[in-house]
Amino acid sequence: MIEIWKNPEFVRHFRANLRKTRAITVAATVIAICILIWLGCWGAQQSELAAMRRGAGEFQWSPERLAQMEQHSGVEVWLMFYRFLMYAQLGVLTFWSLLSCAQSISGERERKTWDFQRATRLGTGELLVGKLFGEPVLAYFIVLCCLPLTVVAGWLGGTTWQNVACGYALVLAGALFIGLTGLWLSNLFETRSRGTGLIGTFGLYLLFGLATALRETSNFPGIAGLSPLTGMLSLLQEDGRYREGATIFGAHVPWLLMSLLLYGTFGAWLVLVLLRTLKKDYDQMKTLSRREVLGCAAFLNFTMYALFLPRPWYRMDAIGFTKFMVGMSGLVLFGMGLAMLTPIERLKVWWRTRNGALADDGLAWPWLAMSVVVGYGTLVCGMFAWRHHVGFEREALMTGLLLYVVIGVYLTRDILFLQWCRLTRLRAPVLKGLLYVGLYYVAATVLVTSLNVSSEARGRAVYALMTPVGAFYAGSANGDAYQSHLLVQIVVGLAIQFAVIWALLSGIKSRLNSQ
Amino acid sequence: MIEIEDLRKEYDDLVAVDRVSLTIPPGEIYGLIGPNGAGKTTTMRIVCGLLEPTEGRVRVNGVDVLVDAERAQKSIGYLSDFFSLYEDLKVWEYLDYFAHAYKMAESEIPGRITDVIRQAGLEVKRGELIHGLSRGMKQRLGIARAMIHRPQVLVLDEPASGLDPKARVELRNLLRSVRDEGATILISSHILSELEGFCTSIGIMERGRLVQSGRIEDLISAGTQLRRVRLRWLGDGVQVWTVLDGHSGVSDSKLNKNDGEFNFSGTDEELSQLLAELVAGGQRIVSFGEEKQTFEEIYMKVSSHEVM
Repeated sequence: MIEIWKNPEFVRHFRANLRKTRAITVAATVIAICILIWLGCWGAQQSELAAMRRGAGEFQWSPERLAQMEQHSGVEVWLMFYRFLMYAQLGVLTFWSLLSCAQSISGERERKTWDFQRATRLGTGELLVGKLFGEPVLAYFIVLCCLPLTVVAGWLGGTTWQNVACGYALVLAGALFIGLTGLWLSNLFETRSRGTGLIGTFGLYLLFGLATALRETSNFPGIAGLSPLTGMLSLLQEDGRYREGATIFGAHVPWLLMSLLLYGTFGAWLVLVLLRTLKKDYDQMKTLSRREVLGCAAFLNFTMYALFLPRPWYRMDAIGFTKFMVGMSGLVLFGMGLAMLTPIERLKVWWRTRNGALADDGLAWPWLAMSVVVGYGTLVCGMFAWRHHVGFEREALMTGLLLYVVIGVYLTRDILFLQWCRLTRLRAPVLKGLLYVGLYYVAATVLVTSLNVSSEARGRAVYALMTPVGAFYAGSANGDAYQSHLLVQIVVGLAIQFAVIWALLSGIKSRLNSQ
Repeated sequence: MIEIEDLRKEYDDLVAVDRVSLTIPPGEIYGLIGPNGAGKTTTMRIVCGLLEPTEGRVRVNGVDVLVDAERAQKSIGYLSDFFSLYEDLKVWEYLDYFAHAYKMAESEIPGRITDVIRQAGLEVKRGELIHGLSRGMKQRLGIARAMIHRPQVLVLDEPASGLDPKARVELRNLLRSVRDEGATILISSHILSELEGFCTSIGIMERGRLVQSGRIEDLISAGTQLRRVRLRWLGDGVQVWTVLDGHSGVSDSKLNKNDGEFNFSGTDEELSQLLAELVAGGQRIVSFGEEKQTFEEIYMKVSSHEVM
């Protein structure tokens, strides 16, 4: 597995994609393009110099200064060339990795070659490594062709060797992480669709772009580290605003380190998921075991608090912090709930064997409840870690507890609904179930908006009765009478949800009994 | 050797394989017959460790496929019904990939590739891209891939589907040569004539159930209390009529001027005795023989006739 050049899957891709004639053609094309880029850089520099000469009199530059600038222009050309090459390699390798890996497994399934690979003695680790490096092997070859030119350009451009090494470390780590994301996505689909792959690729790049753009304003600036562009900008741009901004528990860290940490940790979870599912039949894949889901929930919640950064223009008190974090944690827990949906066949076996509520193939709700407890535990720890900025108050902890209970109940309802959908004859039941859940919340919001026109209190009551959003009004300074009234509405809302959960559990049981 | 025990596989509301138990001894060629959707492919994929059963267990050469799929797969070669190959590889590269994927010893691989290419009759195509091979050649290459690691068990799902008659003959010859090397072959088809004269045992699957299974001779003898015998003679047939009318084991006789047929209930010994009686009585017998049962006839007796 470590000796990549002996990995049969990698060798297969290498042979198919890098035959001698193709390799020579690609190398020659890359060199020709590099020469064109260098000429472009040189031309741009010459235009700049000409403009400077023309404006020398206007700006009263001395002939010595002009001569110095002209002398330095050679270095500037190489520096520009070096930066261009670095960005180009980053773009080519990450784009190619995502696009090729995102169609890899689904493509093999579609071509009916996947079973043959699964039937061999190749381990999941070997398959994973082989595909990760093999699918974009041509892009790696292009980078390899550019490497000597980049090193020379960096040297002539006056860049340190550390900068070049860090740049390549980022390109490689980014490409591997993005490739892993692509493989994970491709494992989720039964057949490939080039259109979907392209849309997914551009979507991910849009997210990366957004993360990079919002790094100076968002409360989680460190997330921008997931975008390799952020780290590359910090390495190649001299502007100081590109260099700072990444924090872990408020302490500043270099973007490169942040990116590598995020790639390492998130990548490790992706690897775990892929190792668990890669050789499984499509219908029998289960993303994570129940215990792993708990671990993942803890990791994601912890990461949230680690990457959090209070902004001076939006001061948060303890309750505001709690609500913000529980809201984010709710999204994380919903994702965990999705990962805990049990395939029908396993659920049926679990039901027949009466294997206990905590069994890995049972219903998700006991483990969802545990994930909520984990979420609350990390809230307490997170608030303690941020106590100097947001405070550590009993009231906030009580609000957090209430919010987690409410979110836990609604999550249980929604996840049980999705599990019930899985037991129906719907096509793509989870996707359709998600659409129904989304439609429910949209309908609730529309209803609330309509009621808000006549009375805001009625709108909030509907929120409290139908959605977990109502609970987020708790603890706001609206007076004791309002709070008590809201609490009653929340409790009634929870009672309604418990009734729905009971109905869903009965529905699931009757379906399991009938099959 | 393949041992299948109480195998069950469910998909949503459908029971694809229902309590199938089966043992295929080493060196056997076992034909799994049944209509589309009978559960053949599901059974074979479970045997290969590609699919987990809902219940039951499968052992291949003593290794539980569910417990240690990778070890079991060491001795299994698998070819699915519809498949494609890596068209951008050359023939030898394709086989080399799978030889390494099955973790064969490095020194053994080149020789083995040459052997299977020869067995598959693809010597002239060794260095060609798979993209340029004909359908039959691709099918043979698929089988060559399945046997590259010298598996003791070969699982072939509808290997002849879509092949022209010549390619079918070539395929049959190839499989015979594999059998001669001592491999156990589990082969499925919904076309009975494909398996005729080739399998040593058959199993008939319908709606997920194995409705009949065993060695062909046993199935024939079990399925045929009465054997149909045809005969031809010279001269008048008085003697024939007399002897047959007087024999307790003969029934449903249809006798013409110089030929006829009848059902016979009895052992081989008794049948030869009957022939001896006819000859001893002075009847000039030209031919006398039992009508061989075909797969179709056996199948028609035990199934609900869903197979071609």
